[in-house]
Amino acid sequence: MKKYLAAFAAAATLLASVPASAQEKLIVSTWGGSFKDLIAETIAKKFTADTGVEVEYITGGTIDRLNKAKLAKGSPESDITFTTSHVGWLYANDGLFEELDLSKIPNAGHLVEQAKISPYHIGSWAYVYTIGYRPDLLPAGVKIESWADLWKPELKGTLASPDFDPSHIMVVSALLSGGDAATWEKGQEKLLELKPNFKAFYTNDANSQQLISTGETPIQVLLSMNGYYMKSQGVPIEIIIPKEGAVLGVDTMGIMAGTKKADLAYKFLNAALDPEVQAAIAEFKKGSPVVDNARLDPETAGLPGVFTTPEQWKTQAIIIDHKLRAEKTGEWRKWFAENMMAK
Amino acid sequence: MVQSADRPFLRLFVTPSVLVAGGFVASLAAILQYSLRAYIPGELEPGGFSLSNFAELLKPLYARAFLDTVLICAETAFFTLLLAYPLAFALVRTKNPVLKSVLLVTAVTPLFLGEIVRTYSWIIVLGNTGFVNSLLKAVGFINQPIQMMFTTFGVVVALVHVTLPVMVIMLAAAISHIDRDYEKAAASLGAGPLRTFLTVTLPLSLPGIVAGVTTSFAWTFSAFATPQLIGGGQVSTISTLVYQLGFANFNFPFAAALSLAGIVFTVLVIALLRRAAQPLEKMGGHA
Repeated sequence: MKKYLAAFAAAATLLASVPASAQEKLIVSTWGGSFKDLIAETIAKKFTADTGVEVEYITGGTIDRLNKAKLAKGSPESDITFTTSHVGWLYANDGLFEELDLSKIPNAGHLVEQAKISPYHIGSWAYVYTIGYRPDLLPAGVKIESWADLWKPELKGTLASPDFDPSHIMVVSALLSGGDAATWEKGQEKLLELKPNFKAFYTNDANSQQLISTGETPIQVLLSMNGYYMKSQGVPIEIIIPKEGAVLGVDTMGIMAGTKKADLAYKFLNAALDPEVQAAIAEFKKGSPVVDNARLDPETAGLPGVFTTPEQWKTQAIIIDHKLRAEKTGEWRKWFAENMMAK
Repeated sequence: MVQSADRPFLRLFVTPSVLVAGGFVASLAAILQYSLRAYIPGELEPGGFSLSNFAELLKPLYARAFLDTVLICAETAFFTLLLAYPLAFALVRTKNPVLKSVLLVTAVTPLFLGEIVRTYSWIIVLGNTGFVNSLLKAVGFINQPIQMMFTTFGVVVALVHVTLPVMVIMLAAAISHIDRDYEKAAASLGAGPLRTFLTVTLPLSLPGIVAGVTTSFAWTFSAFATPQLIGGGQVSTISTLVYQLGFANFNFPFAAALSLAGIVFTVLVIALLRRAAQPLEKMGGHA
């Protein structure tokens, strides 16, 4: 019996001597699939190497996770949440994010202006929604250089755009009609003229990939990262930045209000903005780094939609104010469903 | 006391179902209270009491979606019945055990695949460069692909596949309960196989047909992934609208109002269907 007690005491002493950080885990809420892999392979790897703390993930869709976070308000399931810039505003407005103290994130000193979304959430990487098309399947002689080209009658019944977020094409239509996101109504008439060219509205990235790879919709308003992924799979897709620019999207991260691991969460955010990590993220997903000191290989840096210079951020990105977008999404979505998607 | 002596485990078994029912009632109550509150753009928390969500439902778009949903359900139930009946009949009546197994596997396999997998498979089959169009092109029937994706036709085809197993199981149960002596009596009185089937077997299987059609109807009413993916936003049903207008843009109060209207509408349609089918069920009743 004494032997067992001695063994138990030895084991307890051994466990007690393990550093506290090794027993802790940081919980990160993110999308599943390649986005979770992206975080695990880049940010989490650096964070664990720096702190010895492992990262665990809660994965799900943008809205599912928002609902769960809302239900768990005050005692969050995760310490950090990744979400889109405008949905991040919904987290912030509902008191689900902590206000960030940027002095605890030294790498945030290099954050580009476009990634400073709010006092509660900051960019982790950026991408664009732009025009992607199959040159082999478009009618002969049709050139795509501008958003206005989507309205060409030769493209009747060929176009797809996301059904979950019509803001890109709605703001583009407003811009082409002399308005902007705040005066989006100016683009309504022009948008209605685009209706015959729509063939379908895709539900998610996988659906988008399937529709363009099978040629079902040979031209799409698509996520640049998605387009590059399909290209890597051998689908002959051309991705362009229209002369008016492409619609910027920023995926963001915030620290959950009520987390008991705020210090670790800040370290995680700092790891995310490390220039080498940012370069790795850009390589992995063909997106834009959100810090100005990341060094990308020339091939990735040269891809349309990968912004690495202030000039590119300024001239090639159409930026929809993230807060306005959070407020208007409902109105835009409803108008789009009632007027564009309905027969 | 007599009841508890006869059925000593009644309370034990009833308690879980009462708890589950309580959960459903609570969910419905939550939907009801959300539907009566105002949507505040940019906020997750809904505002105060409002009937505006229900007023919105009066727009023609939503009436059209309700009507389209009913038509899709009716077409799905009809074509599922047409396909399922021979399958169920053969399943019950064949004496060959191998054939019986093959029929059973054919009928029930779709149940083992998730709805998403089945739907993605149909996208491959129905697409412009899919199996059907490629085949028709190869044999020279068509030069240009027939548009099947993003149409009501495509949605109905995929939904028939979804509801087929349940319909087969229900019909097989009904057909297996038919007393073969009735058919033998008809045959002995000179009725041929077709007449025996039309005047004896088919009427006696009506309870199964009514149950199958009603179930298929109700199931299709709430189908989401199939109309969403095959319809590609061009075919609107109540469930796709709930997603598009409610969850994709955080307008939970309106989504709740639409869901509530959908539930009430489904109950009404099913009640009407049952009422209309009552004479048929009586005709098919047999001891």
